[in-house]
Amino acid sequence: MTDDSNEDKEKGAAAGGSYDASRRRFLKGVGIAGAGAAFADHLLADTQAAEAQANGRASSVAGTVEINLEINGQKRSVRVEPRTTLLNTLRNHLDPPLTGPKLVCDMGTCGACTVLLEDKPVYSCLVLAVDAVGKKITTVEGLGSAEKPNAVQNAFVEKDALMCGFCTPGFVTTISAYLKKNPNPNLQDVREACKGNFCRCGTYPRVFAAALAAAQAQTGHD
Amino acid sequence: MQQAPAKKKKKIRVPRVVNGVETMVEIEIDDEGGPGWGANDKHALLNHHLRRVDGPLKVSGIAEYTYDKRAPGMLYGRLLRSPHAHARVLKIDVTAAQRMSGVKAVISITDKPTQDASAAIVNFAGEPVAAVAADTPEIAGDAIRAIKVDYEVLPHVVRADDALKEGAPKVYPEGNLEQRDSQGFATKVAAAWDKCDVVLEAEYRTPIVHHSCLETHGHMVDYRGGDTATVYASTQGTFTIPGDAAKELGLMESNVTAIVEHMGGGFGSKFGIGIEGALACRLAKQAKAPVKLMLTRQDEFLLAGNRSGSWQKFKAGVNKDGTLVAFQALQYQLGGLGDGSQAGQPYIYNAANRYRERFAIHTNEDSSRAMRAPGHPQASYAIECLMDDLAYKIGMDPVEFRKKNLTDKVYHRQLDRGAREIGWDRRNQTPGSANGPLKRGMGCGIGTWGGGGGPQCKVDVTIARDGSVMVAVGTQDLGTGTRTYTRAIVAEELGLQLTDVIEKIGNSTLGAANASGGSTTSASLAPAVKVAANKARMAMAEQLAPLLGSVKPEEITFGNGNVTGGGKSLSWRQAAAALPSAGVNARGEWRADLAASGVHGVCFAEVEVDVETGRVRPIKMVHVQDIGLPLNRLATESQINGGMIQSLGMALWEGRVMDAKLGIQLNPGFGDYKLPGCAEMPELVAIIDDEDKREAVIGVGEPSIIPSVGALANAVFNACGVRVHDLPLTPDKILMALTNGRTTA
Repeated sequence: MTDDSNEDKEKGAAAGGSYDASRRRFLKGVGIAGAGAAFADHLLADTQAAEAQANGRASSVAGTVEINLEINGQKRSVRVEPRTTLLNTLRNHLDPPLTGPKLVCDMGTCGACTVLLEDKPVYSCLVLAVDAVGKKITTVEGLGSAEKPNAVQNAFVEKDALMCGFCTPGFVTTISAYLKKNPNPNLQDVREACKGNFCRCGTYPRVFAAALAAAQAQTGHD
Repeated sequence: MQQAPAKKKKKIRVPRVVNGVETMVEIEIDDEGGPGWGANDKHALLNHHLRRVDGPLKVSGIAEYTYDKRAPGMLYGRLLRSPHAHARVLKIDVTAAQRMSGVKAVISITDKPTQDASAAIVNFAGEPVAAVAADTPEIAGDAIRAIKVDYEVLPHVVRADDALKEGAPKVYPEGNLEQRDSQGFATKVAAAWDKCDVVLEAEYRTPIVHHSCLETHGHMVDYRGGDTATVYASTQGTFTIPGDAAKELGLMESNVTAIVEHMGGGFGSKFGIGIEGALACRLAKQAKAPVKLMLTRQDEFLLAGNRSGSWQKFKAGVNKDGTLVAFQALQYQLGGLGDGSQAGQPYIYNAANRYRERFAIHTNEDSSRAMRAPGHPQASYAIECLMDDLAYKIGMDPVEFRKKNLTDKVYHRQLDRGAREIGWDRRNQTPGSANGPLKRGMGCGIGTWGGGGGPQCKVDVTIARDGSVMVAVGTQDLGTGTRTYTRAIVAEELGLQLTDVIEKIGNSTLGAANASGGSTTSASLAPAVKVAANKARMAMAEQLAPLLGSVKPEEITFGNGNVTGGGKSLSWRQAAAALPSAGVNARGEWRADLAASGVHGVCFAEVEVDVETGRVRPIKMVHVQDIGLPLNRLATESQINGGMIQSLGMALWEGRVMDAKLGIQLNPGFGDYKLPGCAEMPELVAIIDDEDKREAVIGVGEPSIIPSVGALANAVFNACGVRVHDLPLTPDKILMALTNGRTTA
């Protein structure tokens, strides 16, 4: 059951929590009871989940909380269940949504959902929205636009580094972040940096070429 | 009344996809001439490196896929799957799910009381038994978990070997083995063995592999009651959707519009709405609200089709001069509940005496579907392994041995080209003879594909008075570059640039188009686009001829953004402004002479095998492909790369793993099903065989995946000197083969 009665009580309740997006910690946290339970201590007061669990009704972790997120430089407020992932929040709960990051494997292996959290690439399918409160979130839409692409986006089009395009936002986001860390990568560096992203159409060689071309374009301009 | 002169007719064979299965049918078409493509090296845009026109939308994340669709009041659908490979559903209790807040529709297979008892039987683990639609995906997940199903578990069989055993549970009442065909003369073959210098017997297996489309199967069914509906679909066939959906929604087909703006991969698995689409429609109908039902990744592995496995047993005899004298094959297609597919052996090779039988072995697994060149990589892999083994046995260069048994000289040319590119002379003359634990080796393989087009597309080209040009057809772009070449053909015909034309595709209210199966899209669509563009150009020329002075319309040239004739030249905008207020519209249909079918392809691969760990590292792959007129070299090369990469997966890493006892798949996710990734990428060289001078369009999607599986397997053999007979070539199997090889040596 959702609970709208005390919706404003604990805005951004999770903001104070320490953040560690590593997959291991996440999986440890999830344990048996599902993602919601790991954060229940933050949010129990704000939901009816406690009641549901006390009654032994483990069928759902219900109740929503309103949170404020900083996405692509904009403040966005959204009402989600505490167990909602950042990815699902961006895609399914924000209005209007941000659907650049894709849900593909739903388990932190394919990288299609990659977004930047404090400029670091993370799998947004493994991050809870409540845990992204107070952090700077950047999605592929925030890196550039069709009209004004960033260097990586531009190089992807130039080098034909995409086919169906479903993995593309993840690759673009990963590489854009990586080139900030390492502006002069070689081919091996780029392969390593992209190891967490899958493509099924088979664009890898051209993704590598695009990353190297983008690096060259950026350092050339600097 | 005067009778029109009878049109010249000709018969052609074209591929059709029916229920995801490809078949060739013969049709009669008008044999009319018209302007051709012209020489392949004389194009202004086509056969150049063109940037994908949908690239900017895709790289910036705003290209909208079915998965990205949202509508006011839209619900999220989710399926409940059977955990049993074979069971009778006794009772489904959905009351708890229905009571949950946010749940708007629940349906199950026991909703309709039916006389047909088989309706309540599930035949594979993963078969849907119920579905829900709820306000959020999270609630939909809760609702699925709240449904209680009572099953009576029945005996199952999920392995081909087990399915052939006496007393095995029967997948179909008729049994588990079904003969598909036989060809050749068994008695002639039996008499020929004595005449061969060398006779070899071998068997090869390939597992079921998964399409693994990154966008899973699914639809957003926008229906709120009433007479009309719009269905957004992740499909390879825009026009395969409205009929199916209309049936489920109880609407007229023409009142259902299908939209396929962008789609995230199909590879042969996405035709029609499927069970997931049917359930989405029924949920929408029950809830009177839009429903988006995209399969989860596990759903996708378990119920959305796969490439059938194979089990092939060969006996072959050769003479010392390299002539294949006798060949016999027993071919099993492992398609689960489906038939599977496998090209007939000995595939492309000649054998004076030959006999083969093909069977389907059925198991309690979801039905296989078409997957990129159905049946070909399996057949090519096995025969290419055999050809290599035979060549080494008689001490002949594997390339020369292949040539000896191939009459088509295009293969010879492509083999020479590939051998040059990879440096074939560097291979181990004796397999496994390199020093040290890291051993390199090389191998090659060959493939063929039909492709070709058919008269299914209706394309409209409109030139407006402001100079804007639109080409419209309902076709879909799977990531193959359909949008880009559709634009390019029109732009080139009118002497414009890519940016001067816009394309409108992926909508069933536009002109008809075929589904993308069998590499038939470009060969069916491109000719119709060319004809439409040419008609629009001629209609425009007719309008402009009087303005330009004494010039015949057919003498007016369109180039570099100008329209020229009679000594005068108009800019494109000036020319368009002279058109009547409705502009110019033209419709084009397919013309046989603008398309062709039949391609060859060879692949050479170099790998490194660590004989201490059994790990294979691909080093380099070269693929040579003829394709007639390449519409866009950049996209063509990308597709050839993609074929090589997918075959890397099939050769080295991918395969469904079943638990025989439980009847379930053990690796239905990207954590355990190993796709090719960045770390393993070898150097890839995609070569378009420009010596193919056919001025005609042929698809390249499928041919590019065929020959490389065998090439990789042969490279592994050449590197380490032992043959592993079943894919994928994982370290455990290689180590085992090395151990056995040592003990027998």
